[in-house]
Parts: sequence; C-alpha cells; structure tokens
Amino acid sequence: MSPRAVTVAAVIVVVGAALATAARSRAQTPPPPLPAPASGPSGDARRGADLYALHCASCHGATGRGTGDGIPLLGIGAAAMDFALSTGRMPLANPHQPMVRGRSTWTRGDIDALVAFVTSLAPGGPPIPAVYPAGGDLTRGQQIFAANCAPCHGTAGQGAAVGEGADAPDLYEATPVEIAEAVRIGPAPMPRFDAGVIDQYDLNSLVRYVLLLRAPADPGGFSLGHLGPVAEGFIAWVVGFAGLVVIIRLVGTTR
Amino acid sequence: MRPVERPVAAMLALSICGSLALVVVYAAGGQPQLEGVLLAVSLGALGAAIIAWALRLLPQEDVTDVREPEPSPPAVRAAATSALERGEEQLTGRRTLGRLLLGALAALVLVVFFPIRSLGPRPGRSMFHTEWQPGTFLIDGAGRRIRDGQLAAGSVITVFPEGHRGSPVSQALLIRVDPAELHLPPGRDTWAPKGHVAFSKICTHAGCPVGLYRAAAHQLLCPCHQSTFDVLRGAMPVFGPTTRALPQLPLQIDADGYLRATGDFSAPVGPGFWELS
Amino acid sequence: MIRRLVLWLDDRLGAASFARKALRKAFPDHWAFMLGEVAMYAYLALLVTGVFLTFFFTASGEDVVYQGSYAPLRGERMSAAYASVLQLSFDVRAGLVMRQIHHWAALVFVAAIVAHAMRVFFTGAFRRPREINWLIGTGLVLLAMAAGFTGYSLPDDLLSGTGIRIAYSVLLSIPVVGTWAAFLFFGGEFPAPVTIGRLLALHIMLLQGLILAALGLHLAIIWHQKHTQFRAPGRTENTVVGSPLWPNYAMKSAGLGLAVFAVLAALGGLVQINPVWLYGPYDPTTVSSPAQPDWYIGWLEGTLRLMPNWELRGFGHTIPEPFFPGVLVPGLLITVYALWPFIEQRLTGDRDVHHFLDRARDAPRRSGVGAAALTFVVLLTLAGSNDVMARFFGVPVETVTMVLRGVVLILPLVAGWVTYVVCRELKAAEGHPAAAWHAVRRGAGGGYIVEDEEG
Repeated sequence: MSPRAVTVAAVIVVVGAALATAARSRAQTPPPPLPAPASGPSGDARRGADLYALHCASCHGATGRGTGDGIPLLGIGAAAMDFALSTGRMPLANPHQPMVRGRSTWTRGDIDALVAFVTSLAPGGPPIPAVYPAGGDLTRGQQIFAANCAPCHGTAGQGAAVGEGADAPDLYEATPVEIAEAVRIGPAPMPRFDAGVIDQYDLNSLVRYVLLLRAPADPGGFSLGHLGPVAEGFIAWVVGFAGLVVIIRLVGTTR
Repeated sequence: MRPVERPVAAMLALSICGSLALVVVYAAGGQPQLEGVLLAVSLGALGAAIIAWALRLLPQEDVTDVREPEPSPPAVRAAATSALERGEEQLTGRRTLGRLLLGALAALVLVVFFPIRSLGPRPGRSMFHTEWQPGTFLIDGAGRRIRDGQLAAGSVITVFPEGHRGSPVSQALLIRVDPAELHLPPGRDTWAPKGHVAFSKICTHAGCPVGLYRAAAHQLLCPCHQSTFDVLRGAMPVFGPTTRALPQLPLQIDADGYLRATGDFSAPVGPGFWELS
Repeated sequence: MIRRLVLWLDDRLGAASFARKALRKAFPDHWAFMLGEVAMYAYLALLVTGVFLTFFFTASGEDVVYQGSYAPLRGERMSAAYASVLQLSFDVRAGLVMRQIHHWAALVFVAAIVAHAMRVFFTGAFRRPREINWLIGTGLVLLAMAAGFTGYSLPDDLLSGTGIRIAYSVLLSIPVVGTWAAFLFFGGEFPAPVTIGRLLALHIMLLQGLILAALGLHLAIIWHQKHTQFRAPGRTENTVVGSPLWPNYAMKSAGLGLAVFAVLAALGGLVQINPVWLYGPYDPTTVSSPAQPDWYIGWLEGTLRLMPNWELRGFGHTIPEPFFPGVLVPGLLITVYALWPFIEQRLTGDRDVHHFLDRARDAPRRSGVGAAALTFVVLLTLAGSNDVMARFFGVPVETVTMVLRGVVLILPLVAGWVTYVVCRELKAAEGHPAAAWHAVRRGAGGGYIVEDEEG
C-alpha cells in the first residue's frame, strides 16, 4: 500500500465520519409536540349511509350484518370503526387481502360520518377512547409498555413476527388515538386491554411512552432500526471485521 | 523533509489534531459520536502512519530462520526419560506410603466439594410447587384483586397470588375466552368460571415468559423459541420445541365476585428437569 | 538511551542473547496470518475498556429506585446493576462510548477468532507438531464465548435476563445432576439475587485469567515452534522466511493494532449497540421479541429453536428437550472440533511433521468436512433469528423453522460434497501442488483447466 493510498483512505474515513455525525445531529429534531386530546366524532350519519352503501356494503352487507367476505359490523363500536378507517386498514381492494396499515383514503369527515352511521345501526362496542398523553407519566408508560406491549411489538416498538404469519406492526405511525383504540379493541390478532387492565391514567402514560419511541434519543449513534443483536452481529462482521480484513490485506501482503 | 516522508508526516499531524480535538470535546462536556470519531482519527491516523513508515520507508529485507526439529536429540531424550524413571523408582519403592499418599489425595477431593456445595441451596421439592394455595386471591401487577367482569372476552392479564406480587415462579396469565369454545382436558370442567382460564406464564421449554397472546387464534407464543400453546385446549403445545402443556391454575369466583385459585397449578411449572416424572 | 536500557537489562538478566535472536525472528508475510493478531488486539481493547467499565459497575441484584438523567426510567425499580449501567451510559462522561467500544470489540473479537480458526483449519496448520496449540485455540474459542455471554448478561436488562433464564434452563436439563448444577451455579432457583455477582466474578476474573493464560501459552508455543508458511520457490520445510521482527514486523503489527482500535472506536462512537435503556430492567414476568443473543451464541439459540419436541421420560425421570439441542449437539460438535487433528491423523494415516501449509484444494476431504461443518453452524446461527427472517421475508415463522429443519441437515452435506469435488478436481488438474502460479479456468466439460504461466 502506498502512502498516498493511506492518506486517501484516512481522509475518506474522516470526512465520512464527520458527515455522518452532522447528519445525525440534523436528525435529532425535538420530539413531536404531544397532540391535543381526541374529541368524539360527531359525524353526519346520512352522509355516512351513502358512503357505506358505496364502499362497505358489498362485503359487510347493506345492513351491516356481514357477508362471507366481511365481518358483521353491528355493535362493533366506534373505536373499531375509527381505527380500521383512519389507519387505512379499510377498505380492502379485495376481501382476501391482509388487513395492514396503509394510507387512509378517507377524509376526517368521511370517517366521522361512517362511524356515526354504523354506530347508529346497533349500539355496543368500545367508544373512541379519549387519551391525554400529557397527563400520563413516562416511567409508568414504560412499565405498562414492557409488561403488555413489548412482548409482541418489541422493546423499541419496532414490531415483530408473532407466529402463523401474524405481524405485530411497528408503532411509529400510529396517532395517540389510534394507539388507544388498538389497546381498547384489540384488532385481531391482538388481545384487548379494557379499563380493567389498563386504566385511563395508564393508557395516557402508555401513549406518551409510545410517542417517545417514535424518535428515541439514540445517544449511541445509528440505531440500526432497533433490531438488536441480529443487526449488531451483521455490522460487526460486514463493517468491523470486513474492514479489518481489508486493512490486513494492505498491511500483510508481500512486496 | 523528503517527498517520500510527507504522507507519513501528514498522518502523524492528523493524529495529533485528532487527539487534541478529543481533549477539547471531552473538556467541553463530551459527545459520544465525536468522542468515537476523534478517537478513531487519532488512533487510525497514527496506525496508518506507522504502517506506511514500515512499508515505504524501512528497507524491505527477508530473514530466514532455521527450524529446530521438535524431537530433542536422542541422547537428551534418553537422559530425560532415565531421570524421570529414576525418580519414579525412588517413590514407588515405598508401597504403603505410596498408597496412603493416593488415599490422602482422594480424601482431599472430597474436601473440594464442600465449597461447591455452599454455592446454592438444596433443590429439594421447591421445583414442584408454587405459592398458589386453595383460596388465594388473584392480583394484578399493581397488587389489585381481580374480580369477575373486569376482563372482557379477548383480554389477557398477568396475575400473581396475593402476597406474592411479581413472583417469578407463581406468575400466571389470566385470559377471558368464550366458555362455549373451551375444550379443557377432562376433570377441569370447573376450573374456568365464566371463561376465565389461567395458565403458568413460564414456558415449559426454556422458561421464558410466554408473553405473546394471539387473541384471535387463542394461542400463546413464546418469543424465545416459538413454542406455541392452544389456550382453548388447556394450553396444549401445538408448535415448537416444547413437550408439555402450560400448567393450568384452577379458578373459582367467590361470593363477592373475586377470582381465587382453588389450588396449585396442575403440574410443576417451567422447564423440565431430571426429577420430573 | 534504548541502548543503555538494553545493557542494564543484560547485566541483570542476560537478555542480549535472547534479544539478538528475537529481534531478527522471521514473520512470514501473508495477510491471513494476521487474523489471530486482529483478535489479540481486539482483546487488548476489551481489557482496557473493560477495566474502565468495572469501576462504574455495581454487581448487585438489589432493588434500587433509579434517579438518573434518563427520564423514561426515572423513579422505576430496578437492580443496582442495571441502574449502574444507566448511570455509566448517561451520566459518566465518555462512559457510553467506552461501553459501546467494549461491546463492539467483543463482537469483532469472536469474529476474528472464528476467522483465524477457519484459516488454521483449511490450511492444515493444526497438523503435527501443532496439535497442542489447536487444543488451546479451541479452549480460547469457548472461553471467548463464555466471556461474551457473561459480559452481555451483566447489565441485567430485559433482553439479557431472558438469556440467563434460557442458560439456567439448559443447565437444568442435564440428566441426573442438572437440578443441582443449576441451583449451585446460579445460587438457587431462578432468578437468584446472587447471580449477577457471580457472572461478574466469572467475567472479569476467572475467565480473563484463563484467557490470558491460554493466550500466553498459545503465543509462546507459536514463538517456539515458529510460523507455518505457504509453499513457494526456494522455501523448505526446515526454514521460515519473512520480515524480521525488528523493526519491520513490529511496526506493521503496531500499526495494525492501532487500526483495530480505530475501527472499534469508530463503531463505538457512531453505531449504537445494546441500548439497554430501551430494553428496560429485567423483570422475570415479561419478555420482548425478537429475543436474540449476541451473534456468537446464535448457533446455540438456533439449535434450541429448530429441535423438534423430543424428550425422554421413564422410570420416574425426565431428560428434558433442551438437553439435546442445548448440551448434546453442541457438545458433540465441540468435541469433534477439538479432536480434529487426531481424527484427521486417524483418517489419513498422516502423522508426519508439517510446516508447509496446505491450500484448501490440497486436502479435499478436510476441506469438504470443514465446509460442511461451517455451513451447519452458519445455518444454525441464522435459525437463531428465524422470527426476524420471517418478518423480513413476509412468511410465517413456523414455515421458516420447518424449512430450516430440513435445510440444516441437507445443505451441509451438499456444501461439503461440492467443496470436496471442486478441491479434488483443482488438485487433479494441477499436478504437483508445489508448482508455481497457474491460471485456472472452467473447462467446457465442467472440469477445471490449469494453464501454465507461459501458456
């Protein structure tokens, strides 16, 4: 290896590292402000009926009793309706698609109208939960999260496979209300956590902690997607060890 | 300075700059990323300088070492073996003392076991029971008693025996299911009042908490090695390396509506061990 | 100055006669001979950063309430061990970077050891007279794994606590003595409060003492027996040709050491590793997923994940399932690995002294066995992250497990056989292995054609 090559390599390393550091400090924007508490939707049920007939009735039935392609919606409750619509899980292009998060095609008014219409068909089901993250306690939130959520969604909320193809999604896009709705209704295959298990204060705390996980401080540097030892082992081999092999090839080659 | 020396000098200068910058960063309160990068610069530039020096500025010459053959010369070997044998004869000549010496060493081995024995308590029967007794109240992680109606179908909560909050051996999962769907093993008809079933939370494979509940499929999954248990059929294993069902905790609802155990788990909890029949 | 020091030493120790030979000792030039050196320098980095970490670590399972500067855990109950790691990470200047360098160094340390062992295996450097050093090297691999496991278990976070839990269960599964062994080693039924203190004693004292002793012996034997080298024109079995220790090789080696430290420092500063504050304090009643160990324990985790649910019961006793994947399979693998020099002598009947190295093609059977074993262990390591793979590829984790159960038995045989055939054809096409460089190209018939340099 020529001294010139040594110089060039070192300069590349230093400049790259400096750029990386700069990029990191830019990425460390302050966490998003805690959103305002949700207000109960007060939609226009008649408009909801029209939307329902157009977009939902083919699978869920004209009167919400369900068909072979869609579950009955009678008594499902406002929270489940709002969750499915606002997270883009509904509507599905065809009924055999998996129900996963997507871009919601609805306006807020559409959702409110549909919720109002479907809940007017039959009572029951959890209402859209109120959540006040600012009123929660971060440490309590961490405890609730570790005990009830981390087993499936991962300690950093990064999501995980939970068997039989089921996926506990990451929690980085969910809004406070969506998080609270998921807790209360337990969208399949997730279990539900009623106020008897996670009370309002614990729910506020939990949501506050989940919001923090969207952009944790990561004081150690690049987070590797919070994938843990798998990603760390990969980096140790392909960056650390492989980099050192390049160096020993330069140092140890015969003249 | 000769041109051939310049890159080495530049590297050494860079190393000095890196070290000084690191001092400044540290004195200013420290910052992990800058600390790592500057340390890498000062060490890496120094290393690069030394390597470049070795490869470009030192005369490159080969030296040749002659190996000494591994076996020593025959005369030396003979002398060593005979010295060994002579000593052995001097020792083995005294038969009785030799045997006593072996006996003393054997007795000493017994002594070595005592400090090892002190390392932990006798296992005894502790692996066979938990803190659940007939009539013990179920409490949640905050210590509150669980009552009927608190859990909707599809809910799950980690419970402990009252007085033993957070107990690692007695921890259990209380799950509410539709009683009509339950197919518990024979003899457990009364163990799940109003669809409340409770199972040990410790995986019967390697002991991880079986923390993943897929409510829609009524299955519990252990994230460590993917042992999967069917809640509706008495937590029978349906996938993964485990061989045994999660032990079930028999429950009742008392006159005041509180959930209580009617006894200990249906089997020893946790992973298998030799004494388990 | 140096001259005066040397003379002073020679007056007292008679060091000059040793130094005269040592300073001109020949170090053969080949990059692959420096893999072990990378491991040694990574170990040095581990010792230096480890001593620093020890000053801040509290080896206690005692309950404390955290009051440090990481807000989401302030006021939470945790072990003193976990609290001291948070304190080190957030409130000690340069504490986090030292901790991260230490952890990265551990991962690279074992990686370099494995690469070094593979180099020694595939070049036949373990053959007589170097069988003893192969055994010591095997011991070092195991000690490094043990040091790694005890080390990453110390923070007492939710992830590593789960790992200790599994280790306890595997120990518990050993027939006859398992229950006693687990109770004595961990200090009682899991989770015993004394465990963290024991792991620290093992990690910083017993294991490091053993590693230093084994490493010293390893190097002393290399020094005494002199290096192996590849065949080349003008070289013989009875000589070693290379750079002199002083100054050429000493400079190169020192430069390499600094480069190793630099890479570890860069990783430690830029890439976050083991963020225990996100995992939370260990709580035996909860768990997180995915739950993986550090990479070098992955093959053991993978064996546990792949093994079907077989267990032996009878006569009032149980040999639990984890015994087979957790103790028996790794035990057999390690035994064969450790005894390979003797097994190969038995298989080939070659008990001669060898100072020249083989190339992989020179010993097709050995290379085939090595490729098969390597494939097996790599697949087991991948199986240790079957849930991560399942999510990555969007298939059920059960499918990944079932597929890997088959693949882990078949692919090593295929890899071993292919390696064997390729090596044998290369060797056959080449003629005498001591020949000079040749160009090798794939022939139309599927074999290999070797062209002479002139041709």
